[in-house]
Amino acid sequence: MRIGIVSPYAWDVPGGVQANIKDHATYLLSEGHHVSVLAPAISEESISEDFVVSAGKPVAIPYNGAVARVLFGPVAASRVRQWLAQNEFDVLHLHEPAIPSLSLLACAIAEGPMIGTFHAAAPKQKVAFVIAPLLEPIIEKLRARIAVSEVARETLTIHLETDAIVIPNGIDVKFFQRAEPDKSWQRDFTIGFIGRFSEPRKGLEVLIKAIPEIVKSIPNARFLIAGPGEGLDVMQSVSPNLRHKLEFLGRLSESEKASFFKSIDLYVAPNTGGESFGIILAEAMASGTVILASDLPAFVHVLGSGKYGETFTNEDSHDLARRVISLFKDEQRRDTLSISAKIGAERFDWSSVGPEIMNVYLHSRGEGEKVTIGSDSRNWLRLFNREGTNSEER
Amino acid sequence: MNSLLFIGISILILIWYLTFSANRLDRLHHRVETSWANLDAILQRRAAIAQEIAHLPEIDPASNLILMSAAHQAREAEIFERSEAESGLSAALRLLRDESDVPHLHIDLFKELDEVTDRLRTAIAIHQESVVATINRRSKLIYRIFRLAGHAPLPVTYPFEDEEL
Repeated sequence: MRIGIVSPYAWDVPGGVQANIKDHATYLLSEGHHVSVLAPAISEESISEDFVVSAGKPVAIPYNGAVARVLFGPVAASRVRQWLAQNEFDVLHLHEPAIPSLSLLACAIAEGPMIGTFHAAAPKQKVAFVIAPLLEPIIEKLRARIAVSEVARETLTIHLETDAIVIPNGIDVKFFQRAEPDKSWQRDFTIGFIGRFSEPRKGLEVLIKAIPEIVKSIPNARFLIAGPGEGLDVMQSVSPNLRHKLEFLGRLSESEKASFFKSIDLYVAPNTGGESFGIILAEAMASGTVILASDLPAFVHVLGSGKYGETFTNEDSHDLARRVISLFKDEQRRDTLSISAKIGAERFDWSSVGPEIMNVYLHSRGEGEKVTIGSDSRNWLRLFNREGTNSEER
Repeated sequence: MNSLLFIGISILILIWYLTFSANRLDRLHHRVETSWANLDAILQRRAAIAQEIAHLPEIDPASNLILMSAAHQAREAEIFERSEAESGLSAALRLLRDESDVPHLHIDLFKELDEVTDRLRTAIAIHQESVVATINRRSKLIYRIFRLAGHAPLPVTYPFEDEEL
């Protein structure tokens, strides 16, 4: 099958959607399909994958509590046309087509079997959805919609009044299972955090506030903070006698992240909102890491309502500390969670998610149908033809 | 002069809007046709598997009769009765799956049935969505006034078989 995938966000900026597209494309290639990904890129030289085609340089706009780099405009439109004409796809898979981006552009231009994946969980009345009536005729062209979680599906039903099939994001379970622990991260009782911690919604502050209480009961607790951001700013909010408990690791590569999960005793995800899926939890589950996450609906869902990891009351540092301490004391509980998490993670492996998406592709396509470029001039011709046939009938 | 120009522009905008709307509906009708064709194909495949199961040596004559007639009814049903007939087949297959040991004797055949059932869920969801979108659009005033749907029949909903599948 010839599959085209469009990424709304710049390929050379790290992000969940891009990582998901890359994994999915790799999976599809390994299954013997032809895959081409169209994505914005800040610098074309930085693209190392040969299945990725650059659509030009994106602009930065604030979206959903983060900065999104997106791309639209006439130049991008002509790139999309060119790409579609060259590839003759059987299906076109658009990610996040409901925000003004390359995906929306491609959706407006192309005709034929198109599938959209919706990642965002945006609360009601977000700017991007105010333009919903304008989006409707474009989004309507999608033959099927995929939502990455129940939360994303709800967002879609509220804002665009359409339903979607829920298929979670995929992960490479084996990659996380095979990783080796890093000795230097294993000293003491290590509590890990991963995320762009300068963003308040990642909730590092909630964890920081819980540190004094945790250290009181667990004197050998050590906090490993991974992810891009300025550690010094965070340090200033910690009392000086506790600062040696914290360690900033900076941005981790994929393989470092996998061994990080293998090394730490407890992974804490204190995110305060804006999470639609929580792929990081699925990855931690695959590693068999003991997880304590805030009780966001998306997180509770991934964690099987407590089967694969515990949750604490969102934004409540006291509750967070209490749960950390009780997990610290109960080694048996930690072992049980670790074992069941590994089993729960299988659901998110590409070997189960990939065929589900392929199923949607197959059911969205008519026999022998191809993705083509829609032309407005053709519509005018059609009007005259329609009138012609009507008068003949009369 | 000015008012004439205004009327002219209004008419042009109306024509553009009508073409645009008709085009939208045309696309939706095509979407429904595709999703129905796919759903129909997968239902046919399931009926074929059901008949194959009915002819297995371990199947007693009563189950054979139930399966064969359910599969036959599902294949012959008119489009608006289809989902009811197919639910009958779903129920018959599920009963066999849960209540007998035939699935353990013919693992391959039942594995295929499971795969088809999974695909059926997706196909129903996709079809249902396109039908609802089309019906909603056709109920809008402008489509009714200008009869933009032409002679295309109103698509038939296919209720999701949550119970039986």
